Amino acid sequence: MKEDSVTDALLREFLLGKLADADRERMEGLFLTDSATRERVLALEQDLIDDYLEDSLNQEDKERFLSRYAQTDEQRRKLRITGAIKDWAVREARAPHPAAPTVSVWSRIWTWLRLKPRFVVPIAITIVIAIVLAIGSLNSREEQRKHLATEQELAQLNSPASLREVPPQITPFDLRPVSVRSGQPQTELKIPVEISFIELRLPWIQNERYSMYQAEVLRVGDREAFTIPNLQAESNGRYTIRLRLPAQMLIRGDYQINLTGLSTDGSAKSSEEYSFVVIN
Amino acid sequence: MARDSAVPTENFEEILAWLNPDREVAATMYVQLRHDLAKTFTFRGCADPEGLTDEVFDRVGKKVLEVRPTYVGDPRLYFRAVANNLIKEDLKRAKTQVSLEEPELREPTTTESDEDNAEDMEECLRSCLQKLSAENRKLIVEYFAKEKQAKIDHRSELAKQFGISVENLRVKVYRIRVSLQGCIERCLKGKVQQK
Repeated sequence: MKEDSVTDALLREFLLGKLADADRERMEGLFLTDSATRERVLALEQDLIDDYLEDSLNQEDKERFLSRYAQTDEQRRKLRITGAIKDWAVREARAPHPAAPTVSVWSRIWTWLRLKPRFVVPIAITIVIAIVLAIGSLNSREEQRKHLATEQELAQLNSPASLREVPPQITPFDLRPVSVRSGQPQTELKIPVEISFIELRLPWIQNERYSMYQAEVLRVGDREAFTIPNLQAESNGRYTIRLRLPAQMLIRGDYQINLTGLSTDGSAKSSEEYSFVVIN
Repeated sequence: MARDSAVPTENFEEILAWLNPDREVAATMYVQLRHDLAKTFTFRGCADPEGLTDEVFDRVGKKVLEVRPTYVGDPRLYFRAVANNLIKEDLKRAKTQVSLEEPELREPTTTESDEDNAEDMEECLRSCLQKLSAENRKLIVEYFAKEKQAKIDHRSELAKQFGISVENLRVKVYRIRVSLQGCIERCLKGKVQQK
């Protein structure tokens, strides 16, 4: 008997002890020495166990099977394990989603919704609202982040050390407090393109002087105001607070600056308002 | 089966050397040969495959020093020949014993102990299935999807999908099953030891 002449039917007879002596001895030899035949025999033994568990064996084969594969405790335990695997696989195959472990959460939700259509509209509305809120929240966070970054940049730009330097691409503008401007028109700023920064000179006309000032810059119509703390006044003939702003943040429109004098404990004491218009 | 002695270390080493000059390979072959001889006894319907396998190794161990120098061929066939003699002796012994009634072939039934272990079995099964790849889990499910007559066509179709023969599909599934069964057995033994 050659290896390639070993059929499944022959192997099955071998497993059930139905082969004639010569064939059986040859098969035993192949089983012990030929790895391919060995695996085929053991694989077919599993199929035979499946057939027994399905009650597909005829009476004679069933008796032969029991006398060989279901006598010792070890054999019975293996039968139970095989039965458990088979039962699980059959249950999985018959379930609506055989590959349950790999089914996504979305697929399960979709299946559930198909079973309960009355929940679809409320859930869809809830999801849309949640998405809008989430996007709004993200945008808000992004805006907040940008706002803080701008304020940090302004604080850096207006620190005493920075103010001592005079960069080449900077243009000064003198503003007057709104309270003393009376009927005079607003100061118009036309910022040349090559200019990177503007320096606003804000005269403090009140008698009360403060060690520290804080400016709040607001573009009229925008909700966003930028606060620049720790400003100090200079008294070169006029008592003035200098405020530098990046040219790129000043787009066409009306601007308002609230300058507040702070006492040593940081509390606001009095303030002045300034305004200007960017025309380019 | 009663056995009178264990194999001396020297003879055991001789058996390993006979199976393969590389000791590690020989050790693997030794383990597999034990398993396969026990299976052979099972195929022949012997009552105590493990005990008979021990007896084969005892007998070969006692003779290996004198047999090996002159034996020509695969040593595993010598083991098989010894096993064959043992089966004949077993059958002869059985014939001389008067049996008052036919041996009863009992179908495995669910005992109280099995019921106790059902929960462990389920837990071990779940745990071991998680260790299989998704692809192998799916293959096992597909392989068992149909029963009785319908499964023949189904497995043939499945083999076509993989581009392999039904025989190779069976072996492919067998390898997964061996790994899964081994895992479950180890898991169950672990649970027994914990109790």
